[in-house]
Amino acid sequence: MIDVSDVKKSFKSGDTRVEALRGITCSVPRGRFAFIVGPSGSGKSTLLYLMGALDRPSSGTITIDGADLTAMSEVEQNAYRRDKIGFIFQAFNLIANLTAVENVLVPFLPSGVTPEQRAKAESLLTDVGLGARLDHRPRQMSGGEQQRVAIARALVKNPVLVLADEPTGELDSKTGDEIYRILRDLQAKRQTTLVIVTHDRRFIREDDLVLEIQDGHLMNGSALEPAGVR
Amino acid sequence: MWKFAWRNLATRPLRTILALVGLSIPILGVLGLFSLSGGLRSLVGDTLSRIQGVVVLREGQPSPVFSDLPADLEPQIRALPDVTAVAGEVWKVAPSIEDQSFFGSTVRSLTKGGPNQAMKSLFDQPIIQGQDIVAHQNLKSAIFPRAMVKTSDGGRFLLPEDHDKNRIVISTKIARDYADAKTGEPKKVGDTLKIGEETFEIVGLYNTGSMLLDVIIIMDIDTARRVVKVPKTSVSSFYVEASDPSQNEKLSELIESKLEGVDARGVNEILANFGDLMNQLDLFLLATVALALLVGVVGIINTMLMSTTERFAEFGVLRTNGWSRSNVLTLVTAESAYLGLLAGLVGFVLAVVFTTVANQFITTTGLSLQITWKNALGGLLLSIVMGMLGGLYPAWKASRLVPMDAIRLGNR
Repeated sequence: MIDVSDVKKSFKSGDTRVEALRGITCSVPRGRFAFIVGPSGSGKSTLLYLMGALDRPSSGTITIDGADLTAMSEVEQNAYRRDKIGFIFQAFNLIANLTAVENVLVPFLPSGVTPEQRAKAESLLTDVGLGARLDHRPRQMSGGEQQRVAIARALVKNPVLVLADEPTGELDSKTGDEIYRILRDLQAKRQTTLVIVTHDRRFIREDDLVLEIQDGHLMNGSALEPAGVR
Repeated sequence: MWKFAWRNLATRPLRTILALVGLSIPILGVLGLFSLSGGLRSLVGDTLSRIQGVVVLREGQPSPVFSDLPADLEPQIRALPDVTAVAGEVWKVAPSIEDQSFFGSTVRSLTKGGPNQAMKSLFDQPIIQGQDIVAHQNLKSAIFPRAMVKTSDGGRFLLPEDHDKNRIVISTKIARDYADAKTGEPKKVGDTLKIGEETFEIVGLYNTGSMLLDVIIIMDIDTARRVVKVPKTSVSSFYVEASDPSQNEKLSELIESKLEGVDARGVNEILANFGDLMNQLDLFLLATVALALLVGVVGIINTMLMSTTERFAEFGVLRTNGWSRSNVLTLVTAESAYLGLLAGLVGFVLAVVFTTVANQFITTTGLSLQITWKNALGGLLLSIVMGMLGGLYPAWKASRLVPMDAIRLGNR
């Protein structure tokens, strides 16, 4: 369960202070597929990154399964991200010098990769249809393939939460559909909580949770309901 | 992580090579200069090891060439306990040889052959050594009689009948340097050599193999006094032998305590003095090379800064995947350490090539440039440290990025 409680976030942009989030309170139950939607600059990505312990809110708390991200030290946040949270980005953000399987293993590189971790990375790449491209570099792969590698990288650590920022934003619609099919299959199989920032509402299903943000406010209150109910 | 760091360098080959060149040349300089310094130490050590006696000269003078002592000190030295032989010597820079003066030949070399040739000419400057022939025959450790060319055309060393005669013993090197003008053949026994305004008969040839010794023209002491204008009452130095050479240090102390205004130097003291001189030279060389090293390090800082600026998104991704600041710092520092290691290896290979080639041209001098393992490892270590120092600031900068900002900046 993700609990976001009265989270505010402001930052300086030049001489002005931008209020990115103005007191967001919401909960995402474990194992759900949730979307954060809203216009550009509404604060969607900021909320996503705060949920991923990539930044700290100006005030308020965020807990995941009882662990308060905002109370953690930087070292604890690093460890939490490494062990519990997977990230998928719009621009794939694979590391050009590493092969597909090495990209999946990135979280484990500092401590050294075990054979079990490697086997798991290969298995995940096979699950996303890249079993034959384990040793390919990003430049040898299409955008869709790169995003599938990024999905495998997000899942290799058995995260409790996967956060995706516009995961199909740089893909054509057919490839985007394929990415969502993979995400939904893996989420169903693993019961991982998935929170996705998107502009594209066509991927939202009736039973998905939706957080609609505008000007730093949550538009649909704190008791999130499935999209189909609204 | 180290493999990852290595690949990051390999994927930017041109930039890596340019940074390598920037650092490997100073490393070549360090190794080259230390091989020269080591070669000189070895040459001088080897040369001095042949001196088994004590050299007595004017206090404060660096060498017998600049020293003068009263000739009548000889009986006082001979009277000291354990002294078995005392031989007076006159040492001076030779006047013109075959009408070529030291100044003239240096200028000629500079204008025709460039600085290297001039430097060679400087080291080739002949020195006159006048020996008290009879006294020298009593020495057990005289260097030159033992270095005579053994073949029949090597002639002989000086004998008492050469006293006050224009007869000389020269090295095979001098014989080559002042070859017969018409035939180009080296001088040989029986030929003549013009020193100053006088003509001398060559009676013997020696070859010590040391560039420091093979410039000496040996003649009778009174003949030398006449040629280099030293009064009969003076010598440059005395060569003194004791019954037990291992007690030379004590003998030196005794001579200095008994005679005023003299330095008595055993080989150990001369070696120590030379060692001090070389240490100062090494420091000077290091200071010079440090400047080049600084330029190399600036090159690495530049390379790593460009590299890290291009990779903001990558660092952001690493941080989102649990990499700590210190992990990122280690990654970038590892890359610069690899650069340093590579530069050190390239510098080492270049230095080996340089010394090998240089040694081909200085075989006759007795000087041999060698890169010791100690110097090679030192150079490598220095290069790695310089590389790491160059990478520290870019690494620190990369590690300070907030993951969210890094990804946003990197994806622009």
